[in-house]
Amino acid sequence: MNNTIRTNFSSPSIGRILSKPITSSSSSSSCCSSLTTPRIKFRRRYHSYQHPAPGSPFTKAESAILSASLLHVPSHGFSNAALSFGARDANYLDISVNMLPRGVFDLVHYHLATERLRLGDKIDFRKPENELPEGLRNLSIPAKIRVLCMERLRANAPIIHRWQEAFAVMSLAGNISASMSELAKLSDEIWFLAGDESHDTTWYTRRATLSAVYATTELFMTQDNSKDFEATWAFLDRRLHDVKTIGSSVSNVTSYLDFTVHAFANVLRSKNVPFF
Amino acid sequence: MATRPLSRCVFSAASSKHLRSVVPRVAAFHSTPVGLNSSPPKDDQSSSEPVTHFGFQTVKESLKASKVAEVFSSVASSYDTMNDVMSFGIHRLWKDHFVRSLDPGRRPGGQPMSILDVAGGTGDIAFRMLDHSEKVNSDRETTVLCADINADMLKEGEKRAIQNGYDSNRISFRAENAETLESIPDNSIDLYTISFGIRNVTRIPMALKSAHRVLKPGGVFACLEFSKVSPAPLDAIYQQYSFSVIPLMGQLVAGDRDSYQYLVESIKRFPSQTEFARMIKDAGLVNVGKGYEELTFGVASIWKGVKPLD
Ligand SMILES: C[S@@+](CC[C@H](N)C(=O)[O-])C[C@H]1O[C@@H](n2cnc3c(N)ncnc32)[C@H](O)[C@@H]1O
Repeated sequence: MNNTIRTNFSSPSIGRILSKPITSSSSSSSCCSSLTTPRIKFRRRYHSYQHPAPGSPFTKAESAILSASLLHVPSHGFSNAALSFGARDANYLDISVNMLPRGVFDLVHYHLATERLRLGDKIDFRKPENELPEGLRNLSIPAKIRVLCMERLRANAPIIHRWQEAFAVMSLAGNISASMSELAKLSDEIWFLAGDESHDTTWYTRRATLSAVYATTELFMTQDNSKDFEATWAFLDRRLHDVKTIGSSVSNVTSYLDFTVHAFANVLRSKNVPFF
Repeated sequence: MATRPLSRCVFSAASSKHLRSVVPRVAAFHSTPVGLNSSPPKDDQSSSEPVTHFGFQTVKESLKASKVAEVFSSVASSYDTMNDVMSFGIHRLWKDHFVRSLDPGRRPGGQPMSILDVAGGTGDIAFRMLDHSEKVNSDRETTVLCADINADMLKEGEKRAIQNGYDSNRISFRAENAETLESIPDNSIDLYTISFGIRNVTRIPMALKSAHRVLKPGGVFACLEFSKVSPAPLDAIYQQYSFSVIPLMGQLVAGDRDSYQYLVESIKRFPSQTEFARMIKDAGLVNVGKGYEELTFGVASIWKGVKPLD
């Protein structure tokens, strides 16, 4: 599995990332709030693997099963089989997967939440410039956004051949809102780690455009056979360029979103993935 | 539904049994006149439990135990009718959903499961468990023990097992009190189910403790039961229906108004969704999600709990 890792940064090995449960015993109250409120002030700064990542909606036991299950996704996909194997690896019984009220969607959600919470461990542009890796100093905000998107997308590399199954699960009626909320949180995280804490009127549109850019690129990546995902990075650059030219006027952004959402849905339909 | 391709196939419960042997075991009926005088040992009254809280209740409890036995003996044969009346006929769908969501049966590379269906009555849930294991998980080894305090209900279940050709190596019927589960060893069960049974149990916390005792670490407790309807206007309608219509229907359909009256009252007395989730937690089980899932506006709910590893 390790040879599928493509990263320019000194990020921890994917094996370690996948096997490290991120847990939280705190309530999942943060779960839906970020759809409506900009949250910047009261949030964690740095977290380490020793401490459960604040904001993870999963309990310790759930995380134990889910983190073990993720290791089976490359060979068994986002499936009940992966969950059973994971449960066994974590010393639970096959039937213990009942602990996960939403089954396979919980596995997808765990991957999303975990990788979102880990992004800041890998790259955080709020650090002083001299603490950043060589090639990442003195970047403009759009360049930082681009780097963060790439880093987050790379975390999908080990399971990219299975990611369309995840899309199928996310697009089931009961899972759409949680999936959208996770996407919005990722957008917030990326803006935040890029060091942009402004709260002006463009906040919602900035989040929405980044969400659209990220989601379409992620989808593109599932079909990318180029070396080291070069085609995906080129696709990402084109999307980011589109955003720059349309500016942040609400009507432009709305039609841009409309366009990307339709393009997105069409790709899924062409893949026979049920979507809306 | 990519994840559960065969999700609706438990629907036709009685078809296509692979009949190998057709005689279900009826294991030792060790408690004396089963179901008639079923009040459990009274010695816990003298224990540390606050007697003042128990005084009035105790009298009622012993009455209740024998009355429960009476009720179920008298409705054993017309049992499906009763369930239909009580749930507007939806109980079959709830049970299908209950079993499907638990997804019993051996997984690739795993072991067959050992399932205990408590207050299993006429075997409704037990049969569904076997059907699901076989059809969805291609498992013909997982076993179900259907335990009930009432011998009449078990006899009816046994009859049905034979009629429908279930494998006697995989299903057995045994008289057991949910509060004690005497013959069931500690840490021996993968999945404990109780469907429309827990509210009839006299001392529910004792039953939950026993569930915890017999479950393997990582094992799952699952309960399907009538619950509190919300929102309020719907609740008002349901109360009206249940208190006036159901006993009347019981009278008309089964000629047994009193039994149905008892059933309605027992539903009303049962704790709320959150209270019962709390009781499950107090017994040492870990609630799944918020602890319960409501079906049909809360007319019934499913509670799940997992026994922790250590
Ligand atoms: C409404 S029936 C449920 C039958 C079946 N589980 C179903 O879902 O259709 C309730 C059953 O609980 C049983 N019961 C009542 N108290 C019990 C106890 N203390 N231990 C075991 N079973 C009990 C009754 O004998 C009766 O068969």
